[in-house]
Amino acid sequence: MDSDQVEQRPARDWKATDVICVDQPELTTAERLYLPQVFGGLATTFRHMFKKRVREQTVVQYPEQKREMRKEIYRGVHRLNRDEQGRVACVACFMCETACPAHCIHIEGALSPWEDREKYPIKFDIDELRCIYCGMCEEACPVDAIELTPEYHLVGSTRDEMIYDREKLLMVYDRTKEDKPRKGPAVTGY
Amino acid sequence: MLDWIKSVLSDQFGFGIVLMAVLLVAILTAVAYSILLERKVSAWIQDRFGPNRVGPYGLLQPVADGLKMLLKEDIIPRNVDRALFILAPWMIFVVAMVGFAVIPWGGQFRWPWMDEGEILQAQVASIDIGLLYILAVSSLGVYGVVLGGWASNNKYSFYGGMRAAAQMLSYEVPMGMVILTVILATGHVRLESMVVAQTGTFFGLHGFDWMFWYHPIGALLLFISALAEANRTPFDLAECEQELVGGYHTEYSAMKMGLFFLAEYAHMITSSALIVALFFGGYLLPGWSWLNTSESALAMFCRVGVFGFKILFVIFVYMWIRWTIPRFRYDQLMRIAWKGFVPISMALVVLQGIVVYAEWPQWVTILGNVAVVLVVAAAMPRGRPVTGRQASLERKVQVSGG
Amino acid sequence: MATIIIDGQSIDCTDNVTVLQAALEAGWDVPHYCYHPGLSVVASCRLCLMELKLPHPKTKEMGWAPRLFPSCQTPVKDGLEVRFDSEKITENRRHCMEYYLLNHPLDCPVCDQAGECYLQDYSRKFGDSSSRMVEVKNKNPKKDIGSKTLLYQDRCVMCSRCVRFCDEVAGTSELCIVDRGSKSEIDIFPGIPLENELQGNVVDICPVGSLLDKDFLMDQRVWSLKRAKSVCPGCSAGCTIHVDHNAGQVWRLKPRFNPGVNDWWMCDEGRFGWKHVHDPKRLNRLMVRRGAETESPDWSVLPELARFRFERAASDAGTDKIGALLSPFMSCEEAWLLVRFIRGVAPESVLAMGPVPTDGEDRTFPKGSNGSTPKFTIRAEKCPNRRGIEMVLKGAGGRVISFDAFVKLAADGALAAAWIAGGYPNDWVTKPLGSAAVKVGDLFAQDMFENAVTEAAAVVVPSCSWAERSGCFVNHQGRVQPFESAIAPLDGCQRDGQFLYALAEETGLYDAAGVRAKMAATMPAFGELHVAPEEPRFAH
Repeated sequence: MDSDQVEQRPARDWKATDVICVDQPELTTAERLYLPQVFGGLATTFRHMFKKRVREQTVVQYPEQKREMRKEIYRGVHRLNRDEQGRVACVACFMCETACPAHCIHIEGALSPWEDREKYPIKFDIDELRCIYCGMCEEACPVDAIELTPEYHLVGSTRDEMIYDREKLLMVYDRTKEDKPRKGPAVTGY
Repeated sequence: MLDWIKSVLSDQFGFGIVLMAVLLVAILTAVAYSILLERKVSAWIQDRFGPNRVGPYGLLQPVADGLKMLLKEDIIPRNVDRALFILAPWMIFVVAMVGFAVIPWGGQFRWPWMDEGEILQAQVASIDIGLLYILAVSSLGVYGVVLGGWASNNKYSFYGGMRAAAQMLSYEVPMGMVILTVILATGHVRLESMVVAQTGTFFGLHGFDWMFWYHPIGALLLFISALAEANRTPFDLAECEQELVGGYHTEYSAMKMGLFFLAEYAHMITSSALIVALFFGGYLLPGWSWLNTSESALAMFCRVGVFGFKILFVIFVYMWIRWTIPRFRYDQLMRIAWKGFVPISMALVVLQGIVVYAEWPQWVTILGNVAVVLVVAAAMPRGRPVTGRQASLERKVQVSGG
Repeated sequence: MATIIIDGQSIDCTDNVTVLQAALEAGWDVPHYCYHPGLSVVASCRLCLMELKLPHPKTKEMGWAPRLFPSCQTPVKDGLEVRFDSEKITENRRHCMEYYLLNHPLDCPVCDQAGECYLQDYSRKFGDSSSRMVEVKNKNPKKDIGSKTLLYQDRCVMCSRCVRFCDEVAGTSELCIVDRGSKSEIDIFPGIPLENELQGNVVDICPVGSLLDKDFLMDQRVWSLKRAKSVCPGCSAGCTIHVDHNAGQVWRLKPRFNPGVNDWWMCDEGRFGWKHVHDPKRLNRLMVRRGAETESPDWSVLPELARFRFERAASDAGTDKIGALLSPFMSCEEAWLLVRFIRGVAPESVLAMGPVPTDGEDRTFPKGSNGSTPKFTIRAEKCPNRRGIEMVLKGAGGRVISFDAFVKLAADGALAAAWIAGGYPNDWVTKPLGSAAVKVGDLFAQDMFENAVTEAAAVVVPSCSWAERSGCFVNHQGRVQPFESAIAPLDGCQRDGQFLYALAEETGLYDAAGVRAKMAATMPAFGELHVAPEEPRFAH
């Protein structure tokens, strides 16, 4: 239980010689008049107004077009993976809940009804509104049960709708398992 | 019935009333579409498309915006001064609309059914002191801003209101000076006369005798002051989001917020009209004397069109500047007004005065303007003073020139 | 006094301790599994081994002996020189840890001990990060060894603490070690489950996740629990405990070391006796009855209301017609504040203490050890603060009567207004009190659950459980032991101390220490608190 003592580092103070002082360059006459610079800026923006091709290349017209992305690393809606037998892979170890910086995961564990597993979640809620999609839960999971999917169409008309429960998260897995296969059979035994 | 309509339209007063109604609708439409234009211009400058979902090319966007404004919940916070809070947006809106009364839209004309001797001014009210009226009315606009900021009972709103007041007060001065210069040059205070005074020949270019050529610096000062008066970037210190949330309209919502919006754009149109009328020949199109001088109704409509295009161009420049130049700091804003614009505009008044008194030709002022630019360039401070802790630090690297 | 040298540093220690105890006292982090200060020494885990300086058998020259000695079994002697910082010791610990983890299933994510597990701590501090085990690990299914305890044999390190506890403290000897070598395991005798009254302690002393509490099983991870220092309200023994809580809920109680009171232990009755805290039937609103109607006013009206009612009764019927019944479940501070309020309104008012629940005889442990000093006692008196209330009543002076006399007074209709405090975890109202309560003119009932008194009361003041309150209890030995509140009061309730504070015309937030300081002015016994000493940092 006892925590290791954090090593105290001596406080460092800065010295005047640590600072390199760079004076601003003196302005030329044109710069001092300010207006030539303004006109330069105006010219730049004016040029951009006619860059139709740049516009068409860079802007993604969202509902019609969709951005191509790397599905393995995109951090969108969470999912709860299923194991080979289709059961929820989560072992309710609370690691994601502990790691979550936004406190958006709520788990209730129980003794599992299965022979080969010890513990499983009877409740697994993620408040998708509160989540900051940092992926710490995915990092913390010892059995690769929770993962972030490439799905970002996250909509709901009430706050309650945005609290994803266990069934909903498993549905996300069923929906996205083709896009992003589960990392591999987990080394369970829990 | 037809006769009655004709008689009403032939009468200057009756025509004024009809024009008022037409203008109200036209201006509101123009304002709505200038908001769309603003969004489009900003999008183009930033390599985006802008609103393109409502109607073809997003042309129905203003309708959607207007509906949204009208249908949104109108929130009046609990601790505001209710009367002033409700009054403020109307105040600023009405003042912005009233300014249009004296703008000379199309000069003199007569309807086809009218007699030779009769003449009409394409203007709601043709008054002798049109310019002074515009000055007076546009400076009233600050009331709405200050009231809105004060009544909101919110420190950010209050700051916004106070900033707007100080800023408008400061920029009134150079603006008045520049207008005085034009008055001196043209010898008129009546707006339509000032427009007509610019019909002459400028170095062989017929009908190009715009005040802009004689007083480019004056035009610039007027334009920048108008930016400041309208609270537009780079002078929108009264509503800068980073510092003041939303400034004086932080607490406003729905159509009250919409009125502030409308007023801002209406104000832009007024000041553009003023700039065009004073410096760019108003409704005149150089080199086309029929259009410039004919008294037929058709010519009048063409002149209104020309005027409209000129205004549109100035408004576009407003927007162009807004999406190019970052906001000034408040002290810079004040320094520009009091240490820059006021002396320069005073110099211009003196210059024009000497030219008028000594009866020199008008082109002398061009030389004067060039001289002013040179003096200013010489007087501008070099570099920035090194103060505070920076001054006490040892210099390790010296970077010179730039 | 003896002086020994550990790792080159001189340590002063008392004579009758072992080197391990001395080292732990002095702040050395010496790993140990089998050693527990409350149990006999078996020196089986081999983690606490040390190097000892001994004379050479032939040359008699002092030098480090080649073999290692268990520090838990070596008594200190003046001038003894030992060391824990040598290469040998480090290697020994490393190999021991590897050995312990040979068959360990590494199921920390689902193990309830994770976070307070000494296998985790020691393997991080002294062990290796990987295992060289290539054979198939022994698997051993979990065993249901009793109604409250589960045994996960494959997590066990065979320290035999649980076996020794059942032998030496509980005296019931249900647990034993069967088989030998790598097949040895903890077990019960066939048909005789682990059912003694102290069995919860085997979970506490198990250094790994082998013995687990069924009540707490898979509820919470221990690192999210917060601890409050408290005192068990189950009986007059006054065991000091930790209330482990999270998210406004009590999850478990753990004993807190307190020599002379409960040492390292607590009984199951107290350990699982907190369930009434989260009983859905608890009263959770202030109720004022006017005829058939009941209203729930805001708490802010209570002080004025109570003062007005009691003063009216005192002026109408006389100040001797006022009474208050204190409960042995109240803290001393609360009782004192209530007495101050009642005596402030009516100086001649009558005070009494409610019934003291008892349950048979005191039960001593180890069971069946006749005559020897007991190592643990469960008291028959099932309330935490009889002595404290008696002290407060004695300090109050004036008319203090017995519970029966109070009931009789009430039944005779001689009470125009009364405050009856309950706060018992069960239905405590006796039949005579129930029928007498109806005859009290203006009755204020302060209680946690509905009963005959709250039915009859004009004003029902909901009371809080001890986990939500703070103050002090006086145990059967007369030790004044403070306890702090663990969780926020039930929604709609106020801490008893808080409204009594307001009744006694104090302003601000209830502050138990401040009230105690005022009490100590007239009752010096409350000036001296018994605060349990902290255990050495690395001991467990």
